[in-house]
Amino acid sequence: MISPVKIWRNQKKIASLVGKTGKIVAFTLIRVPPADFSNQAPYPVVVIELTDGKRITAQLVDWDESNLKMGQKVQTIIRKIFETGDGVIPYGIKAKPL
Amino acid sequence: MNVSVVGAATTKFGELWGVSPRTLAHEAVEGALADADIAKSNVQALFVANMLAGPLGGQQHLGPFFAEELGLPVPAMTIEGACASGGLAVHAAVNSIRSGQYDTVVVLGVEKMTDHKPEDVATALMGAGSNEERLAGATFPGLYAILARAHMEKFGTTFEELATVAVKNHFHASLNTNAQFHNTLTVEDVMKSSKIADPLTLLECSPISDGASAVVLTKNHKGIRIIASEVATDTIGLAQRESLLEFEATKEAARRAYQKAGVTSKEIDVAEVHDCFTIAEILAMEDLGFFPKGKAAAVIVRGETTLGKTKKLVVNPSGGLKGCGHPVGATGVKQIVEIVQQLRGTAGKRQVAKARIGLAHNVGGSGATAVVHILKNI
Repeated sequence: MISPVKIWRNQKKIASLVGKTGKIVAFTLIRVPPADFSNQAPYPVVVIELTDGKRITAQLVDWDESNLKMGQKVQTIIRKIFETGDGVIPYGIKAKPL
Repeated sequence: MNVSVVGAATTKFGELWGVSPRTLAHEAVEGALADADIAKSNVQALFVANMLAGPLGGQQHLGPFFAEELGLPVPAMTIEGACASGGLAVHAAVNSIRSGQYDTVVVLGVEKMTDHKPEDVATALMGAGSNEERLAGATFPGLYAILARAHMEKFGTTFEELATVAVKNHFHASLNTNAQFHNTLTVEDVMKSSKIADPLTLLECSPISDGASAVVLTKNHKGIRIIASEVATDTIGLAQRESLLEFEATKEAARRAYQKAGVTSKEIDVAEVHDCFTIAEILAMEDLGFFPKGKAAAVIVRGETTLGKTKKLVVNPSGGLKGCGHPVGATGVKQIVEIVQQLRGTAGKRQVAKARIGLAHNVGGSGATAVVHILKNI
């Protein structure tokens, strides 16, 4: 189970990353996911270079095939990470195409 | 202080449903001690390499666990560095002898993965990634797929070239009785297998495996000498690196290892490198300095690192992680066992002719840890 304390502690970090724009510098399409993500596959995981130069790894949501390319512009958003059924629903950073 | 490998043994790697970790450990360690002709009473310390016994099996504290099981009542400890645990344990063991603390030690690498559901194993393996990567839903095939995509984009590396790595390593594994797979593959087989994380397919991924390997190290002994043992680290997450085209940790560990061994990459006759995914062998070939950046894939396709097709460097004669199997804690130790057998000339059907200097390259995570050993038949 993911610790609610840890989620709470990460709020500032999540807030500092939300609403940023950037571009995809590498990507994959996960077809065999970890157990917690099994109801989301297939989904892209992308490395994003934000406009301030910082790079992050995030899941891409609201996507179609045409978005899976180098240089695709994206924006960071807050989304549900996964739902495990044990009562804690973590939210965090994902990205959507612009 | 010189350190030599005087005993080396490995179990068969594979889906060993009927065999426990204890039994695997007995076979590997007793095999290595018999090979060294050294009695248990002369062993002064035990280094255990393992990653997943805690998260999957609920058993940690593996130093005394295996010391008791093996009848070795000596100082014992676990070394964990994800898939580089084996190489790191050998590094720690080498340094324990160099420091003067011990004269003779045993390194055991052991992993039991097939007792558990694949998605649980995949989740446990992501313990080697960053929190950001876990929350992104990444898997290790996914992280290496990102590296493959970056390499394809920059250097024009093709799907066929990636697939060829698996074809070569299955051919080598077909000659290794201890390997998990003995079937040979075609490029088409690899490319047509189900996609795991685009662009990587199932047959480009090393398998989930059980197995154990062990080596006995002593000081100032003739035989197969460890002439360099170097470790380097990098950021745990991929995105935080300056480049997705190389493993800086591999380059750094290799640079120091060549310097300390007093050899160049051109002098290596045989290498066991960390091919957890096809792209990983291409990166290793480049980062270890065997071929220029962006040029390794074509060389592999031409068969220039395949047993029987080259008079120069042969890569992964054991079958590598892809063909021989990848019980993660055992892999780095198995690489040393393979190089020792190659340098002794006892590798049978997969013997590399006139092998005199060998290199083992073990990676943890997506390149956050790299271990390079260079061995020489003195």
